[in-house]
Amino acid sequence: MFTVNKQGDAGTVTAPNVVVPFYLYAALSFLVATFLLCASPVSPGDHYFSPHTLAITHVMALGWGTMIILGASHQLVPVLVEGKLYSHKLAHLTFCCAAVGIPLLVYAFYTFNMGWPAKTGAILINTAVALFLVNILCSRAKQDNVHVVFVVTATCWLFTTTFAGLLLVFNFTQPLLQEDALHYLPLHAHLGIAGWFLLLVTGVGSRLIPMFLVSKYTRPGLLWWIYGLVNGGLAGFVLLFLYLHRPVVYFLPLASILAAIILLIRYCYNCYKERIRRRVNKQVKLSLLSVSMMLIPLALLVVVTVLLLVTTENTRLVMVYGFSIFFGWLTAIILGMTFETLPFIIWNNVYHIQAGRGGTPSPQDLFSNKLFNGTALSYLLGFLLFTGGMLVQQGGMIRLGAALLLVCAFLYNLNTFRVAFHKPG
Amino acid sequence: MIINANTKIAAILKQEPAALEAIISISPRFEKLRNPLLRRLMAGRTSIAMAGNVGNCGVQAFFEKLQPLGFEVDENMAAPPAPGQVPAWFPGADVTVINLDVRPISAAGDDPLAIIMKVVKALVPGQALKVINTFEPAPLIRLLKQQGYAATVTVISDNEVETLFYKHAETPHTEAGPIAPAGDWDALMQAFESRLRVLDVRGLAMPKPMLAILEALDALPADMALFVYHKRVPVYLLPEIRQRKFDYRVKIMRAGAVHLLIFRN
Repeated sequence: MFTVNKQGDAGTVTAPNVVVPFYLYAALSFLVATFLLCASPVSPGDHYFSPHTLAITHVMALGWGTMIILGASHQLVPVLVEGKLYSHKLAHLTFCCAAVGIPLLVYAFYTFNMGWPAKTGAILINTAVALFLVNILCSRAKQDNVHVVFVVTATCWLFTTTFAGLLLVFNFTQPLLQEDALHYLPLHAHLGIAGWFLLLVTGVGSRLIPMFLVSKYTRPGLLWWIYGLVNGGLAGFVLLFLYLHRPVVYFLPLASILAAIILLIRYCYNCYKERIRRRVNKQVKLSLLSVSMMLIPLALLVVVTVLLLVTTENTRLVMVYGFSIFFGWLTAIILGMTFETLPFIIWNNVYHIQAGRGGTPSPQDLFSNKLFNGTALSYLLGFLLFTGGMLVQQGGMIRLGAALLLVCAFLYNLNTFRVAFHKPG
Repeated sequence: MIINANTKIAAILKQEPAALEAIISISPRFEKLRNPLLRRLMAGRTSIAMAGNVGNCGVQAFFEKLQPLGFEVDENMAAPPAPGQVPAWFPGADVTVINLDVRPISAAGDDPLAIIMKVVKALVPGQALKVINTFEPAPLIRLLKQQGYAATVTVISDNEVETLFYKHAETPHTEAGPIAPAGDWDALMQAFESRLRVLDVRGLAMPKPMLAILEALDALPADMALFVYHKRVPVYLLPEIRQRKFDYRVKIMRAGAVHLLIFRN
């Protein structure tokens, strides 16, 4: 299927047969998640700590978000360190462990059987993350740049997240922790959201977006500030959660994360302003839109925290908050970034020898523009309807939103598989 | 001193005067370097690659003669290999090439596509078609690729571009193999031989290579091409190059060594 490129760039470029399976797995996970969203409709009154919601959340967080980021990172880390990936074998093992572990864990949540499927799944997922961390650490150059530090730190937070998840899984059957899983859920979720997703997307995005826009703008100093604010905010939250656990103090880490996101938006805006590429394509526009979409969950988090002070936890808003992260910001950036990375990976493999001839297609000719437009349109409509339906407690809107997201996932899969299996001529 | 195909003869002589005799011993054509006036005039403008062409001896002969004098050779900057005549995928002697010059048809304001397609339909196994035009016929290449034809483009001059079409029993593909001169790279290198601007971006940190190439293209005279030494294929730059009405060829020498040739469409 995918030939290992044994020449040319091969010394520095990760082989497509390492990277592409992650992309395809993620695409199928997105399809599964949206199918589950339609098959077991969310009711406005549902609690977020329910088997189906936990299953969908983990398909999105692990199968969709994490798998595609792992795939892209295996490709990008060699570029960031200007070297090569330490081990293709480790990368294959990472894929295999995660690919088996994720469905086991999701099945366990869906059927709420926290016995061997959940435990085996959690152990395999942790193994996959540990192997990835080793691979990244061994790939590092002597001199780290800010982007590499972001990736390494984010991966450490990911391991912390999955290990906390493993403890929570085992805690269902053997009491290991002082409190139950519901109590620790905000900690587990935010380690993943801020520590893994936010840090990694910032570290990698801040390197890719200037490249996509052909922008002269570089400000490592600003990125270090973002790095400090996110890590400081998250570490502060963990300590406050474990030792103080009073909602009023959560505004401190929240302010820190908000400042980081505002700086990130400013960084992206400056990149855009100082770009050389005149026409910005739709994929990059969607990726840039996703950066501003980070403000939606943040605003919801402020509201949830305020409500915690005056009344009790508003579970509906917590649901919308989670949805706006996994189906909002994260999905938007992945939809855009997929067609700004995968076609180039495939092109580099298929056409790098033919590039000496004329008449080779451009990397962007490998995916269908029409399919991408359909994907983006059904996504934006689906997301707005679903979120709106949740907020105004309108079941019909929620179901229509879920159906549109399923259409979006289907079109995305068609386009992704079309690129992955592209044949020359 | 580290030398490569782009090192000027004057720099070598300045570093090591004894190199004069070594260079002259490569080819009798370099005897004129003994004349101080001619030496001053030529050596400052002539690179090893250019001298290799003048002396008809290639650059390797220079490296062999200069290494004993303490010069180190930068392998990554080895000059491109000697030009090939046919594309790597072309089957060779058992194929007859049918030439079709469509320039008069285009000059008369007619579209030559119908005639080209007629000739294509009439092709039998063992025949290839060479379309001669004033530009690279990208839509035609795409159209015939869908019918299983491989194509290679050779720019002969500003007014003459040859596109060779051939249908294999099975479509040629790009599995790993030795890094061969691809397509019309050599022909283009020959065409632009005396009209090349060289840019080395291997020492630059990201994203400077991309910016340096675009800056060089902005300043590139219409009839010249830009030759770039790079560490990798700059995939995100390629669409931008096409958007700016340039075409490119990429030649991968080995891991971490890529040559690019960029020229106006």
